[in-house]
Amino acid sequence: MADTMGHSAAATRNTSMALGFCLLAIAPQIFEFIWSIGTIFGWGAGRGPATVVINHATALLAGAPGALIGAASGDSKKASSEVLLALIYSYPLFAVAILTLFVTIRSAQDYVGGVILMALALFALWASSDLQGMRGFSFGAGTAPRMFGALLVALSAGIALTGLLTDGPAMAHYAWRGPMFVMAAILFFALAIRPLGVVVTAFASFMIAATGSHETRWLEAAIVGACLTLGCAILFPYVLGLPMPMFPRFLQ
Amino acid sequence: MDIFANLAHGFAVALTPINLLMCLIGALVGTLVGVLPGIGTIATVAMLLPITFGLPPVGALIMLAGIYYGAQYGGSTTSILVNIPGEATSVVTAIDGHQMAKQGRAGPALAIAAIGSFFAGCVATVLIAVLGAPLTKLALAFGPAEYFSLMVLGLIFAVVLAKGSVLKAIAMIVFGLLLSMVGSDIETGASRMAFNIPELADGLGFATVAMGVFGFAEIIRNLDAGAEMNRDLVQQKITGLMPTRKDLKDSAPAILRGTALGSILGILPGGGAVIASFAAYTLEKKLAKDPKRFGRGAIEGVAAPESANNAAAQTSFIPLLTLGIPPNAVMALMVGAMTIHGIVPGPQVMQKQPDLVWGMIASMWIGNLMLIIINLPLVGIWVRLLRVPYRLMFPSIVIFCAIGIYSVNNAPVDVILAGVFGLVGYWLIKHDFEPAPLLLGMVLGPLMEENLRRALLISRGDWSVFLSRPLSAVLLAISAALLLLTVLPALRSKRDEVFTESEN
Repeated sequence: MADTMGHSAAATRNTSMALGFCLLAIAPQIFEFIWSIGTIFGWGAGRGPATVVINHATALLAGAPGALIGAASGDSKKASSEVLLALIYSYPLFAVAILTLFVTIRSAQDYVGGVILMALALFALWASSDLQGMRGFSFGAGTAPRMFGALLVALSAGIALTGLLTDGPAMAHYAWRGPMFVMAAILFFALAIRPLGVVVTAFASFMIAATGSHETRWLEAAIVGACLTLGCAILFPYVLGLPMPMFPRFLQ
Repeated sequence: MDIFANLAHGFAVALTPINLLMCLIGALVGTLVGVLPGIGTIATVAMLLPITFGLPPVGALIMLAGIYYGAQYGGSTTSILVNIPGEATSVVTAIDGHQMAKQGRAGPALAIAAIGSFFAGCVATVLIAVLGAPLTKLALAFGPAEYFSLMVLGLIFAVVLAKGSVLKAIAMIVFGLLLSMVGSDIETGASRMAFNIPELADGLGFATVAMGVFGFAEIIRNLDAGAEMNRDLVQQKITGLMPTRKDLKDSAPAILRGTALGSILGILPGGGAVIASFAAYTLEKKLAKDPKRFGRGAIEGVAAPESANNAAAQTSFIPLLTLGIPPNAVMALMVGAMTIHGIVPGPQVMQKQPDLVWGMIASMWIGNLMLIIINLPLVGIWVRLLRVPYRLMFPSIVIFCAIGIYSVNNAPVDVILAGVFGLVGYWLIKHDFEPAPLLLGMVLGPLMEENLRRALLISRGDWSVFLSRPLSAVLLAISAALLLLTVLPALRSKRDEVFTESEN
């Protein structure tokens, strides 16, 4: 009984992992879609969300298989970037996701690590696919990235395989609070430093970052934050002479 | 004698008031970083890179060098008194050092660590001065093929010396090489993997990635490990700094061996202070008549690794100054500092910038002298610093890092990129990938690609050039042999043993 229980638990784990890999396989497409929403409001240049969805959907469903058949019949028409993304990045990862359903994973840490690294390598291969390759015996701009990209695909496949063949640690536990607030502090800093200046930004970022630990005592943090802000405001612009706005733009 | 003339010139440079001040600041900051756990040398040097903009190049490099070897001193203090290594290089020092402290012998342990470090520092300084010139001559015989092979050897060393899976370490190096290719191609100017983002056109900044992977990622990791680390600080007052005659007699040979081993491992590309301290400790344990004493407060267990890490920290400047190849991540940041000031590291630096090279070498000796003063009588101040709780320290580090990165290029995007790499670093830690080889790959990437392309261009596309040139063939043969040895099971278990030493 206990054995079957364990088996079913592992099975659900694999399904969710495979779903995760599927999501990873279309992550760049999703990212571009989210990015393109901005164009509705006139932020940034680029294609609108509707075009993005249609282009990627046709590439994923029809374009890439078409290109495969075309390549097989000797048609050397240059494929579009969406089709290439589907071919180089998404399809291999879908294949891995399907494979995940049928294997027993003995070390999730290695397996997942290897697959995600492979995704990065495939993405790099796609990103350098538009660059020139070898010209005679001299390297083109794209030769070295493709060489190392392919090498990384092979290595990460090896790591994933290790996760299948040898016993090892399971997935490590990820905390969300620390990473989230530290990232929020960094993001706030990056967005606010130009318009709001060092004084406001440094103090606010300090308080956001401090939220990341549940041991924070607010009064104490505020005092230390204020002292640190004062120190930074003196050290960087004055002592070191680095150009930096001190106060919010609207006050000046 | 050339060396004496050069050293005299170096001391003349290093003893100017501004350089003395820089040396002192470097040593102080280094000790501070070394003492505080949770903030490493790499992140600090990256953080202080922008600060060196306004300084003269010699002073800037003297300060950055001081931070690196100063941290080796400071790390021992925390290891001995708190049983938490302040630096990765002092992990093994904690084993016996903290035991000594518990037995009420914290004073002698600290003193021996400082004396060992000082001795090692002096030897390493002389070594750099002696080896510098001949190695530079050797470097002039290097063509692109040899450079490429040498870098392969360096990267293989990094793999061999990294802990954990060999496959993962190689994958990290290749990942680093790929990251280094983002941006404009050096030869054709074509934009590679930059997605038309103007900020990426110049490539990923090395300091940005280093700060993300080593600074932010460390902070995030420490936070979920439960911020308040258990600090069983040795509370009683430290009395009697002076070691006894027996202590000195016991530790003298250990210091000598540690210095020798550390110097060698420091010169080798891919090596560095961390591995040197591990190796020195293992060696002492193997040589000891009674290995059972180790882990129970053996003074050799403090003397050897502390001498070794300091020797290695300093000799790792040799490949940088003579060949222009950074052997580890901190040295890679030094390359960044040099290029900020328009100095291209390589064999020609010795001739063109004698002030810089010899001034820096001389400053190391002066710095070591300062450090022994900073560390021994003032140890009480550093101990007090350890009482600063992490909940206040980590937001400060975040802000300091953020301002530091922002000021390198005045670019907010760099700060976001560093944050992203912080998450990448956190992910790497969770999947047991080591970030150090990644950084080394990223640093050597452009140099490697350039030399590979040049070598193949000269040989008209003939790959056998790497094997037909004798020097290059030897270097590649050594790399292959090393890699083979690492994969062999017998040696693997030995290598793992070295690294698990600290955990039990």
